[in-house]
Amino acid sequence: MGIRVNPDIYSFVLSGLQANTQREDQALQEIGSGQKLNFISDDPAATATLVNLRMEASSDTQYLQNISSLTGSLQVADSALSSVVEALTSAQSLGVEGANGTINAQNRQAIAQQVQGIQQQILGLANTSYNNQYLFSGTATTTKPYVADASAASGVTYKGNDNTNSVEISQGQAMPINLPGSQLFSNATTNVFQSLQDLYTALNNDGDIGGATTEVGNALNYMTTQRTFYGNSLSRLNNAQTFLNQEQLQLSKSESSALDVDMATAVTNLSQTVTTQQALLAAGGKISQLNLFSYLPSS
Amino acid sequence: MSSLFGTMSVALQSLLAQQGAMGVVANNIANANTPSYSREVPVLEESPPTLTGNSMVGTGVTLKSVESVRDNILNLRIQQETSQQSSLSSYVDSMNQVQALFNETQGTGLQTYLSNFFNSFQSLATNPTSSSLRQAAITAGQDLAGAFSQTSQNLATIQQGLDQSVVQTVQQINQLTAQVAGLNQQIQMVSNAGQNPGSLEDQRDQVLQNLSGMVDTAVIYADDGTVSVTTTTGTLLVAGNQSDALTTQLNSATGMHEVLAQGTDITSTIAGGGIQGLINARDDGITSAQSSLDNLAAGLISAVNQQQASGYDMTGSKGGDFFTPFAPSVPGSSAGAAATMTVTLTDPDQIAASSDGTQGDNGNAMAMADLQNEPIVCGQTAGSYYSNLVDQVGNNVSNATAEQEAVKLVLQQLSNQQSAVSGVSLDEEATNLVLYQRAYEAAARVISVVDELTGTTINMFTPS
Repeated sequence: MGIRVNPDIYSFVLSGLQANTQREDQALQEIGSGQKLNFISDDPAATATLVNLRMEASSDTQYLQNISSLTGSLQVADSALSSVVEALTSAQSLGVEGANGTINAQNRQAIAQQVQGIQQQILGLANTSYNNQYLFSGTATTTKPYVADASAASGVTYKGNDNTNSVEISQGQAMPINLPGSQLFSNATTNVFQSLQDLYTALNNDGDIGGATTEVGNALNYMTTQRTFYGNSLSRLNNAQTFLNQEQLQLSKSESSALDVDMATAVTNLSQTVTTQQALLAAGGKISQLNLFSYLPSS
Repeated sequence: MSSLFGTMSVALQSLLAQQGAMGVVANNIANANTPSYSREVPVLEESPPTLTGNSMVGTGVTLKSVESVRDNILNLRIQQETSQQSSLSSYVDSMNQVQALFNETQGTGLQTYLSNFFNSFQSLATNPTSSSLRQAAITAGQDLAGAFSQTSQNLATIQQGLDQSVVQTVQQINQLTAQVAGLNQQIQMVSNAGQNPGSLEDQRDQVLQNLSGMVDTAVIYADDGTVSVTTTTGTLLVAGNQSDALTTQLNSATGMHEVLAQGTDITSTIAGGGIQGLINARDDGITSAQSSLDNLAAGLISAVNQQQASGYDMTGSKGGDFFTPFAPSVPGSSAGAAATMTVTLTDPDQIAASSDGTQGDNGNAMAMADLQNEPIVCGQTAGSYYSNLVDQVGNNVSNATAEQEAVKLVLQQLSNQQSAVSGVSLDEEATNLVLYQRAYEAAARVISVVDELTGTTINMFTPS
């Protein structure tokens, strides 16, 4: 007598069907969600990577937001300085005009008045604020940087500080976002307000107008040089933005390759399970319903 | 030479024996689909021959006994694998609830909250005096703290649920061991009376099978038909007609129930069955996720508060605590940090964004945002510590699931073997039925022939 076999043939069909249904569920879930990872346990390492990728992507989104809000304040500062340069250029022309020996004292005083007006204008520009922050008071952004002060030699007093704020514009890259007024307008060697004050006084008193005009010219050159900080910063932001956009693209590609299902594979898997199921069901149906009793005479 | 009546009696015995055998066949057919039924075979035996004259003459056949066909070794293997299978499946079921709390594949988890928190300080750095950005940082902190405490409480709830299941499983184990003891007693009585305890043994097999699904068992078959049951590490569960009930006792330190046998804590020695899966998930899987979560919370709380303290708020004062400081119950432990995490700052002006006391300075806000890249949790950044936690929880589930698949295949193989030994084949029963039927018919024919012969003999002397 041979080895006795399991008389319950259906148990094979049943366990086959159960295993197949499980694979079918998995494939359907992947297709339905569009993700090959639906639980951490589907691929723990890939999910952990996903967490890191998303933290990076989220930081990048934040850096991009930083860049767009910084762009605003840097542009405002840059255009304020551009106006300062223009005003100083006019002051320089006025100085040259006043130095001309052919004009009379009355005209010189009229020119002096114009120089004083320019000084007022620059004072206003130096007090430019953006989004409730004074742009040229160092880090004391809530303090108005310059106030008119008759007792001061330059006619103004600086109330801000000498510090700068930096903001991160990409991972590990912090960028200074302001120049303090004490560096821009009123440092020890070049003082915009002092030069205008000197020109005003010289014009009024018929003093060394030529010397004072040179002083204003120096201030103009200095300001033009300083202004490049803002231009450079803006282009730096631009570069960072381009970099971040590229990185975000890369990150979302990596995220997608970790997470997203390859539809072709998933659909192939699904159709395989369908084929398997059909085969199993057909096999189950073909298992003979008969046994020996069917053939015994029932007399 | 045997007598005619002797022959008649031999034929009669055959009739009875074949009838009995057909009864066994009928019973097999009736139970063809009964779970855990082991097929039975009639044991026919030649009756002792008698000395007639000089020769031994057979005296027919008797139905000696009916035996169940079962392979106890195979049953033991099945019980072992069932223990493994149940342990793994209850572990996977439990840990599936845990991994749902950290399901980053669906974006549900702590990553978003961590990112938003650090980003809110990045944002604040661009305009450190903005009260709306300050408020946003407090809100992000509150959301983060809320997510930590909610996750921690959810873990605790799952753990409590598992603890209840452990207690219930112990009760079920006790019911089953009591049933085994009862069946042992009945089987012994039936065996002593010389009858086949097959159906009782089938029942006991079924109970032992169920028991092995609850706890790891080692079964020893004794000669008197009884079994003794211990756990694989030797804790006695059933001996003869006595069962030793397990008990549970609340451990006030952990808040969880221990499993006791005769007053001894056997929780950690349980090596299989659903209860092991529950205990593993409860004492290992969840506990380690909870403690990682606590470490992460404690690291964040202390780093953020420390950074606050090194800066200045809007009023120019040194920064106060951002999160409620965590006071460990045991020095050095972070247990409970996540569950109790809250933001203690209420006034946006209290955020210490400035590093020198100047209102518009953003130095400390930057430093706060940079904590994202600092090793503030057990030597790792918050993000990588968290992604390791996710990895660990996921691995717990995926490893156990893979193992479960392997055990399932083994179990299928064994069940198949068991069915091959003990399952009822209708073809076989049909063949046997024909066999016994023919033998019965032949024996009946013998009786009728003997009857004729007897008639002939009687008629020899009838005066005609």
